[in-house]
Amino acid sequence: MEIPESAVDEQDRMQAEEATLAALVSQYAGTLYRVAFSVLRNPADAEDAVQEAFIRVLRHRDMLAEVRDERVWLIRIVWNIVLDRKRRAKTRPETDDVAELARVLPSKGLSAEELASAAQHHAHVLGCVEQLPAKEREVLMLSAFEELSSVEIASVLNITESSVRSRLFRARNLMAELLHHSRSLR
Amino acid sequence: MKPTSQNVFAPNSVSGDGEATLRLIANLPAPEGLEDRVKAGLRSAPRTGRVLQWPTGLRSSSGWMRGVAAAAIVFVVAGGGWGIYSRVQPTPSARVIVMPVRTGAAGGFSNAGAMRTPQTLNGPVVVPPATTVTPKSKVDQKAAKSAVASGTNAGNKAGIQPETRPTP
Repeated sequence: MEIPESAVDEQDRMQAEEATLAALVSQYAGTLYRVAFSVLRNPADAEDAVQEAFIRVLRHRDMLAEVRDERVWLIRIVWNIVLDRKRRAKTRPETDDVAELARVLPSKGLSAEELASAAQHHAHVLGCVEQLPAKEREVLMLSAFEELSSVEIASVLNITESSVRSRLFRARNLMAELLHHSRSLR
Repeated sequence: MKPTSQNVFAPNSVSGDGEATLRLIANLPAPEGLEDRVKAGLRSAPRTGRVLQWPTGLRSSSGWMRGVAAAAIVFVVAGGGWGIYSRVQPTPSARVIVMPVRTGAAGGFSNAGAMRTPQTLNGPVVVPPATTVTPKSKVDQKAAKSAVASGTNAGNKAGIQPETRPTP
């Protein structure tokens, strides 16, 4: 029985697509996980988001050839997924953040008490971040990724670079006010 | 060094503290085995995400086949449109011009279709001779009744004459 040439081409094409996708997973799964975790702050949810992002890529694999910057494209996909999930989910209480952060934060050279204190401090800061307006919060969170330039942040959020800078400036001022206010209350 | 957005920050400010937290979280390591789990998930994921899946057998020669399919769709749509156009004839314009009913101004009265007739001069009026006199008031009526009942000429005193019937 002869195998038609078209079937062989199809098989080759599918193998090539799988190889490309596997390479993307190896290269960017960690970055996408960090983006997802910074918003969702839950390892299982973040992993689900990464999985969903790559499934979307699989479905739209025909577009891969047209993508100029794969990293920014993937971050944008996972960013939309996590924002959508966060919108649907209820607001996380600060106590959840404290417990989760105490579990995932690096604990080298720290006693259990210091680790708990650090987790509480970080959870409080994250609570202040949650109080920021959505636009400013998004820019501030993406700016925390040292891998992303302001041009890339602008590309992910589909805004101009000057907008990124102005939103970042406002976010920083608001954060300073919020943290100063909470310290003065203590 | 990349031109990162963090360069615009003043590192020693209060918000730098918050940013340190965000950066710490953003740079947490991914869990071990993440890649393998994602790859395993992709292997088991359904590959058909489209509403209409192009037949697999036609993919290799998809260039001209898609063109033919597009041309066929255009032909069917255009043919259908022409069919409808050729069957539906435009109605001829009416020869009689129907004048709209004129109505009064808003809040006014209309003539309700009444015809206006010119006033004519009144001609001479012939008055027939009065044969009967009918009582005009209640007092006169009472007087007439009492006159009829008593059979006297009291009614004549009141100036009312009894009803007379014309003789044949």
